[in-house]
Order: sequence, then structure tokens, then C-alpha cells
Amino acid sequence: MAKARALDRRRKSVKNIRKITRTMELIATARFKKAMDRSVASRDYTTRLAKMLENIAATSGGDGESGVAGFSHPLLEIRPTKRTAVLVLTGNRGLCGGYNSNVVRQSLAILGQWKGEQVGMHTAVSGKRGISALKFRGIEMDERYTQFEDKPEFDQVAPIGRAYLEAYAAGEIDRLDVVYTKFHTIARQAAVTETLLPLKPPEASGSPADTKPAHATSAIGGQDYDFYPSAESILEEILPASFMARLFKCFLDSAVSEQVARMVAMKAASENAGGLIKDLSRRYNRARQSQITGEIMEILGGVEALKK
Amino acid sequence: MAETKNPTNANSPTTGKGVRCVITTPEATVLDTQAQFVSLPLFDGQRGIGRGHAPFIGRLGAGEVRITGERGGAADAVRRSFVEGGFVEVGQDTVTIITQRSVPGEKFDATSARADLEKIRSVPARGDDAIESRMRSEEAARSLVRAAERRN
Repeated sequence: MAKARALDRRRKSVKNIRKITRTMELIATARFKKAMDRSVASRDYTTRLAKMLENIAATSGGDGESGVAGFSHPLLEIRPTKRTAVLVLTGNRGLCGGYNSNVVRQSLAILGQWKGEQVGMHTAVSGKRGISALKFRGIEMDERYTQFEDKPEFDQVAPIGRAYLEAYAAGEIDRLDVVYTKFHTIARQAAVTETLLPLKPPEASGSPADTKPAHATSAIGGQDYDFYPSAESILEEILPASFMARLFKCFLDSAVSEQVARMVAMKAASENAGGLIKDLSRRYNRARQSQITGEIMEILGGVEALKK
Repeated sequence: MAETKNPTNANSPTTGKGVRCVITTPEATVLDTQAQFVSLPLFDGQRGIGRGHAPFIGRLGAGEVRITGERGGAADAVRRSFVEGGFVEVGQDTVTIITQRSVPGEKFDATSARADLEKIRSVPARGDDAIESRMRSEEAARSLVRAAERRN
């Protein structure tokens, strides 16, 4: 009976674990939907900013030095990398499959690369999981953030972005790489390293303006824009705003990807628990049956012995 | 702070649908409405936009966006919203405001705005960049206080 009881106890424990993983899956699904909605809502800002850049590029692109083509800005300047900043975005909690470990692996690769090239580094890590993993590997961290959960807010991200912009303008850093999990689709997220500073020039940002001829104003409905105070001045302000939007998107993508990863991991865990329960039930029933058979045989043996 | 209007396209009963006004922040599009007239805080003063305004892209300062004659409301009703810098694109009877911070009029709070201003003023700034940044924040906070007091 001991074996059957042990199997039953184990089966009950697996059933309890399945309840927990199932609940976590449902919570992750709800959080994913909210995070996804936030991510979709924030796209409008980036799209409109890109459209504005496109319109500035199309309207003023052919004006020679005053146009976007001849535009220079400290954030666009590519400098030799003497000191770089790396921002790693992980989660505060585990039980989300390979989400954290993939980002940590990716960040170790880039940190190792910069170390090999003997470039000074400023390392910032967001998320308890990333902090503990990098601490375990002996990586020194200059900044640690644990305030970001499933709903990163722009007001929380803005001070971090401003600090990077100031450090870049002051020449304290020559580059900023962000290691995070990029959300492509619900079925595909990948840990990537994205260089946010120096910024890509407006022409190279994928806007149709870079393939247009200089006199492409007709392509935007024949509108010729006036600029207040000037196209250059607006571009000067748009570039930091564009950087902030991209940094915020990294945080939003990370939050969405974490919830998807947790959802998938918990779904797999629930299914696995189901399989385990089935197997344990079969083994328990066999053990119980063999025990009953054994007891019957014992009774029959006793009856036979009494007959003699 | 002169109010500028396009005289040929002023807010009149013959202007039809008016203009579409969209306010977008990094977190979401907070407002998308059709109105007769929109007044914006450009970097150098307030500017009014009516139907048929010439297309332009401008830099915004900190101040109040006033939207008059929204569809579905009274013709002289004004919706207020505070924006802290950003950009505006006017074209095809659409006013698109892209800003990092927008506070709707119903959430104006003079007490907390004054507290924020005091907080900004109490932090010392060293170096040109820090001083410039503090001046910007202070100006924005002062504009919010003004907007909130005007509402009260």
C-alpha cells in the first residue's frame, strides 16, 4: 500500500502545481493583453513623429545646406567608441521560460565584446533576474532598476533617457546599446541588441523620403510646409524626442515579451502537469490493483490451507 | 502672446466641419476630436488654427491648448488641455500635436502644480545644461500653474 499511497500523494501535489501554473497562465494572458494594448497605443506617437520627419525631409530636403541632407546634430555624430553604455532589460520575476536567460546571454556577448576591445563601459540593468544573473557572473553594474513591472510608464523611462542624452552630449559615452527582447509577433520574440545612440539620421530611418528626389513635395499631397521657427530647429528637438520614443518602445516590447514568454511557459507547464497526472494515475491504479490481487491471493491461499 | 488667425478661414458658420485635432503622447493618443477652432501654445506665443489654415510644422512651448466648438457640444464650449512642449503639424484641416506630456483640463490642480513648481525651484542646478533644463522645467511648471489658476 505504501507505493500506492506515495503515488497518490505525488499526484495530489502535481494537481496543486497544475492549478498554480494554470492560474499564472491566465494572469499572464490578461497582463499580456493589457501590455499589448499599451504597446499598440504607443505606436501612434512613433508613427506620427516619423511622418513629421518624413514631411520635413520631403519639404526641406532639396534646400542644400538648410535642408535635412546637410543637417548635423550631436546625436547623429558617429564618434570612435572610447566609452560605451549598455542597458540590459530583463524581468523582475522568473517562471517565464528562456526570456531572462536569453537576454542575459545576449548581454554577456556584447559586454564580452566591449571588454575584449578594451572599451570603458557603463552598465545598467533593469530587472531583478538580470541583476542577480550578471552579479553571479561578476559583472559590475553602475545602475540597477527594479521599478519596471508589466506597465512601464513614460515618466519612469524619461529620466533614464535624459541621463543618457546628457551623458552622450557631454562626451561621457560614445554609444548606447540596449539589450532587450524584441516583440515581433505573439509567436516570435527574440533577444536583440539595438544601438540607440548615435541615432540614425532621418534619411536612413526607413522613411520614404530617402528614396524620393529632392523636389518630392507633391508626394505628400502637394503640401509645402512652413516651419516655426525653422526646419533645423524642429529637427534638433525631434531627434531627442525620437530617441526617447525608441527607448520607451524597448521597455514596452520587453514587458509584452515577458508576458508572452510567461504565458507560453505556464501553458507548457500545465500541459506537462496534465501528462504527469495521467501517468501517475495509471501507475497508482496498477499498484492498487496489484495490491488487491495480492490480498485476494492471500485470502484464497488461506482458504485452501484451511480446507486441508 | 498675440492670437493669430488665418483671416480667410476664420471660425464662421460657413466653415463646414472645422478641423480635426489629435493630441498624441508616447503612451497613447489622448484626444482625437473634430472642432471649429484650436488655439495652440507655439514656442513664441499662442496661435489659432481654423479650417483651411496653411500647412506648417512648429515647435510647441509649454501652455494650454484650447479647443473650441467640439462636435457634439455647444458652439462656444472650450476644452482645455495642457501640453509641455512638443511639435505640431497642421495640414489638410488636421492639427496633430505630438507632445511628451499632456494634462486634460479636468485634471488641472493648482495646489499640486504649485507644489511641483516649488520642488523644481528648490533643486540647485550647476552647469549651463542643468540651468537651461531647470529653466525649461520651471517655465513649464509655471505655465501649468497659470492654466490651473485660470480654470479656478
